[in-house]
Amino acid sequence: MKNNDLTSKTFRFVIAIVFLVAILVVIQINYFHSDKDKKQASKRTTFTVGFDAAFPPYGYKDESGEYVGFDLDLAQEVADRNGWKLVKQPIDWDSKDMELKTGSIDCIWNGFTINGRENNYTWSKAYVDNSQVIVVKSDSGIEKKADLKGKNVMVQTDSSALEAFTGEDADEENKALCKTFAELQQVSDYNNAFLNLESGSADALCMDIGVASYEVEHRGDDYKILDERISSELYGIGFKLGNTGLRDEVQETLDKMKNDGTFEKIAEKWELSDFVCLGKPGTDEAYKKDKDEKKTSESGMFDTVKELAKGMLSSLLIFVFTLIFSMPLGLLVMAARRSKFIILSTIAKVYISILRGTPLMLQLLVVFFGPYYIFGMSVSSSYRFYAVIIGFSLNYAAYFAEIFRAGFDSIPAGQTEAAFILGYTKTQTFWKILFPQMVKRVIPPVTNEIITLVKDTSLAFALAYTEMFTLAKQIAAAQASILPLFAAGLFYYIFNFIVAFVMSRVEKSIKYNIM
Amino acid sequence: MPLLELLNIKKSFGDNEVLKDISLKVESGEVVSILGPSGSGKTTFLRCATMLESIDSGIISYDGTCAYEITEEKRYKADAENMKKARETYGLVFQNFNLFPHFDALKNVAHAPEHVKNVSKEEAKKEALSLLEKVGLKGKENLYPYQLSGGQQQRVAIARALAMHPKILFFDEPTSALDPEITAGILSILKELASEHMTMVIVTHEIDFARKVSDRVVFMDEGLIVEEGAPEDVIDNPSNERTRSFLNKLK
Ligand SMILES: Nc1ncnc2c1ncn2[C@@H]1O[C@H](COP(=O)(O)OP(=O)(O)OP(=O)(O)O)[C@@H](O)[C@H]1O
Ligand SMILES: [Mg+2]
Repeated sequence: MKNNDLTSKTFRFVIAIVFLVAILVVIQINYFHSDKDKKQASKRTTFTVGFDAAFPPYGYKDESGEYVGFDLDLAQEVADRNGWKLVKQPIDWDSKDMELKTGSIDCIWNGFTINGRENNYTWSKAYVDNSQVIVVKSDSGIEKKADLKGKNVMVQTDSSALEAFTGEDADEENKALCKTFAELQQVSDYNNAFLNLESGSADALCMDIGVASYEVEHRGDDYKILDERISSELYGIGFKLGNTGLRDEVQETLDKMKNDGTFEKIAEKWELSDFVCLGKPGTDEAYKKDKDEKKTSESGMFDTVKELAKGMLSSLLIFVFTLIFSMPLGLLVMAARRSKFIILSTIAKVYISILRGTPLMLQLLVVFFGPYYIFGMSVSSSYRFYAVIIGFSLNYAAYFAEIFRAGFDSIPAGQTEAAFILGYTKTQTFWKILFPQMVKRVIPPVTNEIITLVKDTSLAFALAYTEMFTLAKQIAAAQASILPLFAAGLFYYIFNFIVAFVMSRVEKSIKYNIM
Repeated sequence: MPLLELLNIKKSFGDNEVLKDISLKVESGEVVSILGPSGSGKTTFLRCATMLESIDSGIISYDGTCAYEITEEKRYKADAENMKKARETYGLVFQNFNLFPHFDALKNVAHAPEHVKNVSKEEAKKEALSLLEKVGLKGKENLYPYQLSGGQQQRVAIARALAMHPKILFFDEPTSALDPEITAGILSILKELASEHMTMVIVTHEIDFARKVSDRVVFMDEGLIVEEGAPEDVIDNPSNERTRSFLNKLK
């Protein structure tokens, strides 16, 4: 035992060192990588376009499962004319800068707003003029901006709408408007946003007018767009800062398409004729400014950590509450599973099989939106946190139930028989004889499960609940830096380090051995 | 009135008829040894008598309280109160001890009196200490089962059974898991109990021991009692052919 202890401590120390070295290496690579890509120009064979696959009509998945859209059609035409093979790469919007920086995509072409991001990318000329509008339920009684007072407003993570309310360049009017909201929530995609709106957990959505018109048209009369707008803005194609070579090639091709009418034709096909603005005066400032130098401001590690600390608390809350509820619930499910009543044990069996057999993220969505879709109850936003806890607890209870069951089953029948002969009641036998032995037996698998839980807390983002990892992704996107993600990684690692330490203490505090 | 009365006990596992028709009466203070070849049903018989196994038919009664009477005409099972009374009459020392691994020796002995019989904590502890001393484990009270040798575990198991003050104690091969030297120690404890007029039913392979300690020896084969009587008759002068061949093999 002693010996074992020593090696495991050394082992952990080594792991921690390796982890730190890895962080340093990645930071280095991160900085040196920046100017390597100018060289790799002319010999291009593929053209990889990054887009958010849930952003119609610019880029999305249609009924037959194809990625289609205005932007993708344009990109296809550009690629064809240059003899490139077009790769349509759906990306997680929060990770777009990472994707671009690492070269896994060549550009972001996806109704990508220039305003406020002028210095962060090398831009094409603006090709769509868009505005931010407000979408509400038709019967919501909300008619103008002022009606949004005290309401839950929802925007997409790192979207122009969010920028318009809280960004550095947001105008005073919008900032003031934002303060009147009950809450400004972020979701990762528009489908989710409309789910929230429909179920009542959000009162209004803010989004680009192109998307809004498309969605409202396709979703019927239940929704409307307010006349008052939040801002106007321009769309362009974003290239990695400094990658003017590729930008120029693409822009040249686009200009040609504009001249021979192909551009207009494609715009017509997507009913965007009213919005396109390629070549219109006053829309190509970002394109012209070029010759960059300006780098994204990397705010200090300390600020990032402070920001992240908020997320840590949220993650910790999920963790603690899930443990508090899922263990007793797991015990209950286990008891039902072992019950002699076939109905009860069948229910428990089905419960376990479903909760272990489907993704936790799906379960979270069902818990959150289920009350609306099944019972027609409207879902309040404050239910979000409870839904996360309920979802996690239900899921982990299923796993704990099986672990506990295996623990009980591994106790020799002789223990129950000895208790029977000595006259213990069934309850006494369970709690005084079997339960403590079960606990000892299940500590290793339970430790595994708890460590998984620490990492799983990040899945709460599915319900737009801002925990550690979501926050780290948002900060990473805002700073165009991978550091926040590593800080997050470190947090999870330390957290689990503590969990493992505590559990090994618990295990040692149980003095007896099992025979 | 016999302390233990088992009448026409029958028990099958599927098609395997393990106990064919067994009756046994044990008077208070009597020590009965059960001998028999492997697979003859001795353990099953003890498990039925102690209600760890259900019987197919027969009568089980302890100290005048009938626990089961299952015949062709009726299926009687004592109510909770009478069942408790019947079950308080006996104790069992398992072949593999079945000590509680999460309790130390003292708690293994003291826990049941305290929680089942509601004896006060101090009193339960006091008696457990004296019982452990009696079985020769003074000073080992705070060791956990995994820290004890097989013989020591067997002693704790005996002390644990005695702590409940049964009127009759069953032993299933009390020495089979132990080597011969340690066996001698356990046998002397059983002898001491016999001298204190403890009623005991012992399944054993120790012919010598059976001869010395028992008032009566029962020989079982293929689910039946083929011979029973005083040890000097059954062991030294068996009338049944099967008993004779079994004893010859052991000699
Ligand atoms: N739970 C059970 N299920 C099915 N068959 C069983 C069960 N327990 C015992 N048996 C069978 O009953 C028969 C008698 O077994 P038992 O353990 O009573 O014999 P025994 O006389 O104690 O033998 P030994 O001297 O080897 O301990 C054997 O054939 C055994 O296979
Ligand atoms: Mg046996």
